Amino acid sequence: MVTMSSTINMAFARRVPLGLSTRLLLSPTISTQSLSLVALRHVSTSRRTLQAQPTHDHSHNSNNHIKVGTDIYSASAEPDNYVNPYAGGPSALEKAAHLFFFTEIARGMWLVLEQFFRPPYTIMYPYEKGPLSPRFRGEHALRRYPSGEERCIACKLCEAICPAQAITIESEARQDGSRRTTKYDIDMTKCIYCGFCQEACPVDAIVETQNQEFSTETREELLYNKEKLLAIGDRAEAEIAANLHADHVYR
Amino acid sequence: MPSLARYIRGIRAVGIKEWWHQMQYIGDVKAGTFVGSDQFGNRYFENLNPEQEVPGRHRWVDFAQHDNNASQVPAEWHAWLSHIRKEPPPQDVLMQNLTPRWKAPWVENLTGTRGAYRSYNTANPKIEPWQPKVAPRGTPLT
Repeated sequence: MVTMSSTINMAFARRVPLGLSTRLLLSPTISTQSLSLVALRHVSTSRRTLQAQPTHDHSHNSNNHIKVGTDIYSASAEPDNYVNPYAGGPSALEKAAHLFFFTEIARGMWLVLEQFFRPPYTIMYPYEKGPLSPRFRGEHALRRYPSGEERCIACKLCEAICPAQAITIESEARQDGSRRTTKYDIDMTKCIYCGFCQEACPVDAIVETQNQEFSTETREELLYNKEKLLAIGDRAEAEIAANLHADHVYR
Repeated sequence: MPSLARYIRGIRAVGIKEWWHQMQYIGDVKAGTFVGSDQFGNRYFENLNPEQEVPGRHRWVDFAQHDNNASQVPAEWHAWLSHIRKEPPPQDVLMQNLTPRWKAPWVENLTGTRGAYRSYNTANPKIEPWQPKVAPRGTPLT
């Protein structure tokens, strides 16, 4: 807790050029470099730091390296080697003062106040979009081979692995003897978009495209059949194939 | 980084007419390089300068239709707009090579219209209703 609050305090003192920060210091070990940054950067122009930044001033941690060995060392066995783990840290009085004056609440509220002066990070959705992964799992599609032959061979592995049991497959032998599906229904209202079907598929026939804008007004429109799935695959094949190619080194 | 100076700079960059158009739709003045347009006339822009556009808002689309929605963006440009692909489709050689000959034309989400998808059975029905067959009269029973 001490290290965490000092980390917050460091980040706090780096950003806020106000007297409040110097009053709230837990430890007087702020480098002069970070203090020089304070004068240059402004609250409204500085970026939000969403991750904790590493601090290099763990002075109270650096001198008490406990070697992990076979024996168990205690302070009484080696009175010469004993180091106080709290040396260099805040004193008990300081910690008590921060505890009883609720300074952490004030620091937290100050962080909230900083966000008030930062530029908003709003993405205007239909015009701008947030980043998606090539592995994003959206609307399903049935793919074809480059020759135009449909890929699905009705092995029903996707139907077997589907945890929501959203896939229904019936198959028949075609006139040329190859087995194809006559029914490939996906209930998109049941589907949980786990992606197991495209992982189970041995021929990369069923995939989940990056399309997430397939919301409908009626429930009936979400009961996809084979024709619909093939039509989705036919018009999005370039994106699907490019995404699979972008990801193929990790598979 | 939105500011009044950026707003005025944007108006000077795009012009009054485009400013009015953008304020009707995207609600902000965004000046950037024209990357391309798709077969429907949607125009795509990019501005990689972090001082002018907040990173993450650096790619945007200007729809051709007034009644626009996100599904009007075809799949290739969707990949670019969603930051999946780095290059826009006219420059994306990989995606062009992977485009098949039988690629179907893009249709937007037609829900709520008469073109909306309605599910149907693609297999033969398991249960046939009883079809009454009437034997013609006068024929002797065998």
